[in-house]
Amino acid sequence: MKKSYLLIVLSFLLAFVLFSMSGMAQEPIKIGAVNPLGDITGRQSTNAMELAVAEINEAGGLLGRPVELIVVDSEFRPEKGAAAIEKLATVDEVDFFVGGMSSGVHLAQIPSLKKYKKVTVWAGAASHKAEEAIGADADWYFHLHPWDYQQGASYGVGWNAIVKENPEIDIARVFLAYEEGAFGSDSYKAYAAMAEQASEGKGAFAGVMEEFKGASFKSAAMGGGDYRAMLQQAKEYNPDLFIWAGYDADAIPMLGQAREIGFEPNLYVGAPPGWPANFGRNPLSDKVILYGMWAPALNEVSDVAKHFWDAYVEMHDEEPATYFAPLGYTNIKFLAKGIEKAGTLEKEAVISALKSTKYVSPLGSTLEISPSNIIQNQGFTRQKILQYQDGKQHVIWPFEFATTEIEYPFSW
Amino acid sequence: MNKKAILIILTALAVVLPFFTGAYVLSIFISIFVFLSLSLSWDMMLRTGQLSFGTAGFFGIGAYASALAVANLGLNPILSIILGGLFSAIIAFALGFVVLRLREIYFAITTLALTHVFSVIIRNLSDITGGASGTILPNAIFNGDPKLIYWAILLITFMVIGISEMFKRTKIRFAINSIRNDETTAKSSGIDVFKYLLLVFVITSAIQGVIGAFYAQQFAFVNPESTFSLNFLLLPIAMALVGGIYTTSGPIIGALILGLISEYLKLLIPYGHLVVYGVIIVLVVLFLPEGIFKSVKKLFASKDNVGSDINAQS
Repeated sequence: MKKSYLLIVLSFLLAFVLFSMSGMAQEPIKIGAVNPLGDITGRQSTNAMELAVAEINEAGGLLGRPVELIVVDSEFRPEKGAAAIEKLATVDEVDFFVGGMSSGVHLAQIPSLKKYKKVTVWAGAASHKAEEAIGADADWYFHLHPWDYQQGASYGVGWNAIVKENPEIDIARVFLAYEEGAFGSDSYKAYAAMAEQASEGKGAFAGVMEEFKGASFKSAAMGGGDYRAMLQQAKEYNPDLFIWAGYDADAIPMLGQAREIGFEPNLYVGAPPGWPANFGRNPLSDKVILYGMWAPALNEVSDVAKHFWDAYVEMHDEEPATYFAPLGYTNIKFLAKGIEKAGTLEKEAVISALKSTKYVSPLGSTLEISPSNIIQNQGFTRQKILQYQDGKQHVIWPFEFATTEIEYPFSW
Repeated sequence: MNKKAILIILTALAVVLPFFTGAYVLSIFISIFVFLSLSLSWDMMLRTGQLSFGTAGFFGIGAYASALAVANLGLNPILSIILGGLFSAIIAFALGFVVLRLREIYFAITTLALTHVFSVIIRNLSDITGGASGTILPNAIFNGDPKLIYWAILLITFMVIGISEMFKRTKIRFAINSIRNDETTAKSSGIDVFKYLLLVFVITSAIQGVIGAFYAQQFAFVNPESTFSLNFLLLPIAMALVGGIYTTSGPIIGALILGLISEYLKLLIPYGHLVVYGVIIVLVVLFLPEGIFKSVKKLFASKDNVGSDINAQS
């Protein structure tokens, strides 16, 4: 009788120990994300992060533990974005931070990120001011999106390569039309600086850009929408390369007015942060060139991009429409790869592993870490040059991801 | 329990809150106090009958004055907050001679335009202000310590509440109410309308400048897009309307309710919480046009009357 009691007690004890151990093993690895959920960029980025986490968990999790994604909306407001970091750190006690977009929001988050010093893999925020605010000492901080100055330089590299490959293409005379707000003014300053460097035979545009002129316009997004005066200036200047830096609301009316006044540059380039939905369906869009990190046409040349596209559509019943979708997916997958490589959640080991991790991303390019001007851990350094052809965005540079060749010259 | 005892308890609770909660809750209350102070300052100007849309503008120039003084002159961040308020007050004083000649919609539109003008000037003085990219500071105030930051904004909020109450309890109130009700009558009663309008405009702008300076020091950066955001105009107005205008309690109640609801809804409905938040504001404005504070006060007053009527009948 005593023996059977003893056996029962021992069985209970054993069950209790096993149960607690399995409970410990199942404690999830928590990843805290901050994205603006009311905006398509943040919503699709979050959808893509959820997809990546689902795939990781289906494959058995990380280090034998499931992964939990906790998302907080930044609402595109600096104080809300900073409060989100505080919540993730102190209430949810996440192991890692990921996200997000908007340099203004990120600048407000940086004091909190510096306080907790958790391993952070940040997808967006391109302003060099954010890089300055993070500083050179933050070895725990990984930034994926190219910084603003890297983007400008990469266009120069891209155009140099395109001109070399297609000798009939000339970009000696460049005209930049920029909206008079912060975004456009910054673009103008960046191009003016690159033009000055090019005139001294230095910088990314050296050897291809000889003359540069800029003119501002009031964006339709800010109550403007009449571009004729600016377009007349551009027409008189007769540029080889015409670029406009404004907002999506400017894309279609500017094209229409350019056609109306008979302005037909050889290269018509748009550089807004986002394009109007279904811009490609507009017949005027044909041969318009744009800058970006990703295009759906990458599915034709990249298995990872194709896998991402199909899985995203299957899970969320919508197509990815912004590069922040594949970037959000990359954000999680890259971090997961680093954790797996480290074999532990110990901070120094994860940092060291991430520094040497290479991840073939659905953006086409392979993500690997190198120092940028200030920070130690910068991911992507280049944008892509894309072109609308027959209603679809195609990659024309870098050539290794090109889905088609450039159509030149631009014509109505 | 009388009103005074309740106020003392609430004040004590607000002061000791950091001992019982973490950085996240503190960050929510810090944000609530920022918008509460802006809301009260907007309401104080409204009490003169002038609808000002310049809140975000004076917030922004206070923020810039403070940030640039710290970044370029090495000024102490606490002193720079005072400087932010002073700078906004000086600008408001100078502009007041022009804009306070205007009334009603003309005053409202001009003050709204001021925000845009300030932002354009800041963008174009890029050598000093950092232009469109803005300016960053080496450190957040108090090295980002949430408790100290909380106590600092709490102190500022108490001061703003004090100024608001001063407007309600001192002789200024008669002048302000009189100007709002009928300016001609106020003038014929010997009230110097312009002097009082200028005084309120300068004081409320100084408050907005102090809050902007505090915000810049809290997050250690300024840039035109974030610092002159219309959020610093529209949210304070919504808070005052929800709580109830022409009172000190109204904007306080509005800021607390909307601030807490906004955060709670975000956790409850991650996608679409802003829609629900907007609907709540619209419903309150539609069905409680006097705001929550006055509506609740009226409800209790009518209940008391019913109670006293019943007692009288029995």
